[in-house]
Amino acid sequence: MRKLIVVATAILFLSLSLAWWLNARQPKPVELIPALTGQSEYCLTCHADLPEISSSHPIKTFGCVRCHGGERLALDASLAHSTMRGGANPSDLSVVEISCGGSNCHSGSEADDRNHIQRVMTSVQSTYAGAIANIRFTFGAQTDLIAHFGINAITDEETKTGLTSLSAFNPASDDNSFIQKFGDNCLTCHLNSIPREGPLYARQTGCAACHSTAQHTLTTAIPYTQCNACHNRGNYDLRSMTFMERADQPIIRIEDYYQPIAQFTQCEYTLDCVDCHTRSEIMGDGDIHSNQKDIQYVQCKTCHGTLTQLPLTTTLTDPNDIAFRMSFLNPVVDIKIGDTMIVTEKGEPLWNTRVLPDGTYEMIGKATRQKFIFRPVMGTACEQKPDEQGSQYCHKCHSVER
Amino acid sequence: MPEISRRDFLKLTRDGFLYLSGALALSGLLRFLSFQTEPALQTEFDLGPAENYPLNSRTFLADVPAILLHTNNGFSALSLTCTHLGCTVEHNNDGFTCPCHGSRYDPAGNVTRGPAKNPLRPLLVEKTPDGLLILYTN
Repeated sequence: MRKLIVVATAILFLSLSLAWWLNARQPKPVELIPALTGQSEYCLTCHADLPEISSSHPIKTFGCVRCHGGERLALDASLAHSTMRGGANPSDLSVVEISCGGSNCHSGSEADDRNHIQRVMTSVQSTYAGAIANIRFTFGAQTDLIAHFGINAITDEETKTGLTSLSAFNPASDDNSFIQKFGDNCLTCHLNSIPREGPLYARQTGCAACHSTAQHTLTTAIPYTQCNACHNRGNYDLRSMTFMERADQPIIRIEDYYQPIAQFTQCEYTLDCVDCHTRSEIMGDGDIHSNQKDIQYVQCKTCHGTLTQLPLTTTLTDPNDIAFRMSFLNPVVDIKIGDTMIVTEKGEPLWNTRVLPDGTYEMIGKATRQKFIFRPVMGTACEQKPDEQGSQYCHKCHSVER
Repeated sequence: MPEISRRDFLKLTRDGFLYLSGALALSGLLRFLSFQTEPALQTEFDLGPAENYPLNSRTFLADVPAILLHTNNGFSALSLTCTHLGCTVEHNNDGFTCPCHGSRYDPAGNVTRGPAKNPLRPLLVEKTPDGLLILYTN
């Protein structure tokens, strides 16, 4: 009996020691009360080593939970993470409205130019409507090239394109085996999709697909390599309905930027995609479009003009001009009231450009900060016809050799 | 060395475990009872003697954060929390600039550039009978 009592006291002591040891291993809680929420959260207890995600989202103001969700008071990792939105990526389009939305954040009004989420949701990068319409047309599932389906069902009552809604594309239910294969093999490049395997395709989903170039980082200084996680990586073979990776193993920029078959000018591969292509082209303009060509409109002439017309420009007079907001987010150039810059035919300022006193133009690379000086076509020996302004015409004389 | 009987050894061992268990349990209880919640957000700030802030001075108060103004009309203060999303604005020659989203305010706290739409919030400053300044953020 005495032996039993000793064993019992030993078990009691060991149990208490174990409990004490486990408790002592718990990290000391680190509290944060973000200005935006005013509510305690303890995520920094384990995540203090993460870099601040961007200067626009300082941790002291936003904290973690406003964007990521999760159990803000939990110290146990499983419990703390159990209600996170989008896993580690709250910008996934399935949860983006809750994570990034809000009238002062990214689902504000069109007038304030804060309708980012609505624009992305209807953009071809998200709907993939153009590719779907083309495939369905090619294989006889529809008689026109107008988009009827998108990756997700979506409506836009205020559309200016005439397309007020898209139904959810469900290739598995289609009788055509090519369309089924397309669904199985070719839906890896839209913003909702998990990317193909391999470092060349590495990206996240949703907003982070473009804006996150490194772990826990958001930026508007997006290099072409981020765009190339989807673009210029290969082609879809319509016979086998599979993706065919580009065969070369490029290392340097001039070879890596475009696929081997592509023609391009010096500025096309020296600049980054975002230096020329505007926010509405890339993120969408808020309307549903049937294909990429409907939304992509910046051409060589946007910056270089034509033989008879200089590029369009605007002089900043309004302190609330979108150009100031853009240059604030990516301060590669210090712009001020009175500066004259190139503007697109839709009125979007190319805020990283400036008209110089000698009639030439300056562009600062948004990702590289490199300075480029360029001239207008007007007054040169260029023989470009005014109605032939697509890049393929410029390539005839100005394409570079690899 | 005196020999110890088996009975005494077991008794000693039992008592040892019991005392150690008791000590562990007691320290755990004390730790539980001495737990203190995080202090509530401070809303009242003692700024010290008023004479520390000369006429026409603008004093940055990092702890609040706010800026204390001493003009001919007396003492006043502006919150430096941006009215857009709550970042702390920075004081410069033209007024205040939000480092997060670029909102700008003139020296009086009025918005000169969005995205903020509301002016910086004025804060109450009181001078006590013994000459101390108290700033309230509520």
